[in-house]
Amino acid sequence: MTESYVPSDKVLLPPADANVHTTACDYCIVGCGYKVYTWPIGRDGTPTDNALGSDFPGGILRPWVSPNQLNVVKVDGVDHNVAVLPDFDAKVVNTGGNHSIRGGTLALKCHNSEGPTRDRLTSPMVRVNGKLTEVDWDTAIGAMADVSRHVIDRFGESAWAMKTFSYEFFENTYAISKLAFGAVKTPAYSPHDKPGAGADTAGVDDAGLITFNTSYEDWRSAEVLFLSGADPFETKTILFTQWIMAGGAKLIMVLPRRSAGVAYAEARGGLFLQVTPGTDALLHLAISRIIVENGWEDTEFIEKWMASSWEIGAGMGRGTRNTPWQWRTTWGKIGAESFDDYKQWLLDQDESDLSYAAKGTGVPAEKIEQAAEMITGGGGPRPKASFGLEKGNYWSNNYLNTASFSAMGLLAGAGNRPGRFISRMGGHQRGWIGAASYPRDKSPEKLPGRRKVEMDLDRWVEAGKVRFAWVIGTTWTGAMAASQELASRIREMTVGNPNQVQALDRQSIADALIRRVDSGGMVIVDSDIYPVAPVGTEFADIVLPAAAWGEHDAARCNGERRLRLYSKFYDPPGESKPDWWAVARFAREMGYEGFDWETDNDVFEEAARSSRGGVLDYNALVWKARRDGQAGHEALRDLGTTGIQCPIRYEDGELVGTKRLHDSTLELGDPEGPTLHPKWLTNFKSHSGKALFIKSPWALFSDFYERITPDPEKGEYWVTNGRINEVWQSAFDDVRKPYIVQRWPDTFVEIHPDDAAANGIESGDMVRLVNDDVLIQVGGFNRVKAEELSFTWMLENGRIRIGRGEAEAVAIVLDSVRPGLLFTNFLHPGSPANSLVHRVPDPITNRYRFKLGKATITRIGESPYKHAMDKMSFMPRDIV
Amino acid sequence: PGGGITTVRAEVANYPRQRIGRLSTLRTGEPVAFKYPWDDIQAENILIKLGHEAGGGIGPDDDIVAFNSWCTHQGGPLAGTFRSDPGTAGPCPLHWTTFDLTRHGMVVSGHATQGLPQILLEAEGDDIIATGVMGLIFGYQDNRVDPAGKGA
Repeated sequence: MTESYVPSDKVLLPPADANVHTTACDYCIVGCGYKVYTWPIGRDGTPTDNALGSDFPGGILRPWVSPNQLNVVKVDGVDHNVAVLPDFDAKVVNTGGNHSIRGGTLALKCHNSEGPTRDRLTSPMVRVNGKLTEVDWDTAIGAMADVSRHVIDRFGESAWAMKTFSYEFFENTYAISKLAFGAVKTPAYSPHDKPGAGADTAGVDDAGLITFNTSYEDWRSAEVLFLSGADPFETKTILFTQWIMAGGAKLIMVLPRRSAGVAYAEARGGLFLQVTPGTDALLHLAISRIIVENGWEDTEFIEKWMASSWEIGAGMGRGTRNTPWQWRTTWGKIGAESFDDYKQWLLDQDESDLSYAAKGTGVPAEKIEQAAEMITGGGGPRPKASFGLEKGNYWSNNYLNTASFSAMGLLAGAGNRPGRFISRMGGHQRGWIGAASYPRDKSPEKLPGRRKVEMDLDRWVEAGKVRFAWVIGTTWTGAMAASQELASRIREMTVGNPNQVQALDRQSIADALIRRVDSGGMVIVDSDIYPVAPVGTEFADIVLPAAAWGEHDAARCNGERRLRLYSKFYDPPGESKPDWWAVARFAREMGYEGFDWETDNDVFEEAARSSRGGVLDYNALVWKARRDGQAGHEALRDLGTTGIQCPIRYEDGELVGTKRLHDSTLELGDPEGPTLHPKWLTNFKSHSGKALFIKSPWALFSDFYERITPDPEKGEYWVTNGRINEVWQSAFDDVRKPYIVQRWPDTFVEIHPDDAAANGIESGDMVRLVNDDVLIQVGGFNRVKAEELSFTWMLENGRIRIGRGEAEAVAIVLDSVRPGLLFTNFLHPGSPANSLVHRVPDPITNRYRFKLGKATITRIGESPYKHAMDKMSFMPRDIV
Repeated sequence: PGGGITTVRAEVANYPRQRIGRLSTLRTGEPVAFKYPWDDIQAENILIKLGHEAGGGIGPDDDIVAFNSWCTHQGGPLAGTFRSDPGTAGPCPLHWTTFDLTRHGMVVSGHATQGLPQILLEAEGDDIIATGVMGLIFGYQDNRVDPAGKGA
């Protein structure tokens, strides 16, 4: 629904008596505070009398309304103007009204029946004779329940799957987890960005570090920042522009591509380590080895805060098996028993040698040495160094990269002091509250030995084991590795099955779909806000319309665990409902108890109980609200865009937020009222409360890495991918924002001038990327022998098949990428970079290597944008 | 695929016509500042000959363009950041937004929720005439209202 962009030279202003709602941005992890103004059509403010309390024209850093911050929405059925503006009074996060291009255009995402968002889903639909046809909620949910009961009875819970977002508000994820894990008790669940449940950065967790432990203040007060696998300028904008830039830390940025943030870093004495994808572990090992060889490690910190051999291996009363790394089934390869043990291991590795690392990573040796010196002070005064990692790091070589990253940061003394932390920087916001635990004991998947693990849902689908799947708020196929191959398999099991719905009554729908599942096919229900291709538009038998941001009251946390209320300010379109409502309606139809919520607040208050003792514990807020005779959501609303940082404590009659975790400077009294004091508030998260060094042997990865490394002789390139500021996730909103579509009417691939010349490619040419060597892991859920985890063994024993993937994109010729490497958007609809990515997850953690795709590149012809002056820019993004 | 040049069109009614320079004295890569449509600090603009074709460009090479010089993110000063090679304004000193001067001021990278307002130009003999503004000037509610209260 793209429309041409016509810049306006005038805006409406909210009047002084406009309704004002507080909310936070719906997009990236940073979660900036926003204010929403709604007012009846025709009752606008004036340049001297308006809700912003500011005269127009204003100037630098003064409040302003841009034409892309306005829309028209229905409030109680009546058209209203709406302005969604950064909170110019914000005291936290985006202080002073700073904003990204994403949040800055939030107004354009609102449903407007006369605008580009008019294709929102407004009614439940069932696919009848191939065509999605509107039905009422009762019919849709009734048929879902009939099929579900049959599937669970006949094939077991693990044939009944859910594939959902993990972040779209506490109220929704709580309901989802209560249904999946508490009621159905299915192990066939996976979040939107991975093939199974569990930790994203297990090498960080195993070191005793909780992944989101810092405050934005720490990114500002650090003197050196080592940032790996993401440019926060592009992906966590306000963290960069409001906190990192203001702090003035020297930046060390580890990325395969030179970006705007890298240009900024270099211009201010920072360091750019341009790594070959997948080789971060080598870089970390080399830096760590330089540190220990020179004695630059933080001895005082290590002695006080790193677990000793007694604390790990012998003592603490519970013995070695209670340390997380022991559960990884790598049989002694990764756990270090002490600093001395880790140091010795490091010195023994060929791969930690500087020359090996320089060759493997493509980073000059002197830059690696310089990085070691910068993060430790090189024997001089020790700087406050913090370490941030993201997907380029952990979605390329998951366990080894994250484990070696943690060890490097710990050697430098980071982890538990202001300005000195090791943390994820984050992608999306933190919206998960689990009502029940993942039923690991029911998982069909087992590692060698006796350890059950969270299942790989995609491989389970590939094996034909899933008969019913409820997909909520994700593209599923496009977001997973070898995406086109996964889509093909699902297509075959759904629309490819002869049993299709032909009549629109509950009985006929259920009968047809039960025949489908009995014949080996699969039924898909898709809940979303727009028709999503192909899962909603092509595969789903039942489509349910969801209410979204601004259409119901909801809560979640940002990257510093700051909880805010996302206020409802306008009507959800048509019959659309919050996902928790649909889940509850279905659960009641199934006869499950405990789904009798009537309001958003009912779910929020119940979920508070499940948050207790966790990182996002907000139970004290609800507990105090009840004592004050207030609803939990209203207590949170009173905190506005400031909100409060979780876990929330209750001290001396007041709610107190928690600035950071593992905070050795935090002084706690006795816990009061509902307050819990988990030991990781002041210590590390391990049984001793101390952090651990985790080894990262390159051999656990090297056979796979050698197999997937592109062969220049065959014209193959690395294809890595990532985010850019202007496009959020699958672009579900952005393709409906004419302003953004003008900038990005299509997706892009950056190519080095030498490679472009060799392939006859110029900026603006349309190119095709093909990988006919996509490795796909199949079968083998019940593993017995240790070697079954090795890629070589899988290859030799029929556990790897070869598939295909292709994508098209507009070429942009830039020297921001090195020869041999292409960079593209990670999730553009219709041209998924993930189709070029192997579906062989990290065997230790079941995480995809999304950043390690490969392809050949062929020019197709000129794109419509090559000579257009009104769409798409081919300028470099790293101009200084 | 492929095809001819397409450019954005804008309504120019009700803007003043103002001579802002001469084709014969403009040098490639040497920006010239002027105010338009009003004598106001927010209405400061930069006229620049890029040396290569640009959307809305005038002159024999369609390479002369003019843009407002305040960033449409939070109003940072862009004067001094206009470059003919490659044809960009920015990065803004406040938060690092960059604009493409060859493509109607489109954001290249950064945070602005609107492109950089382009001053529409015409050539009359040797004279360069400003005829309108495409896009809202930072800080303004309506480009066509003179902050000094004189009206359009």
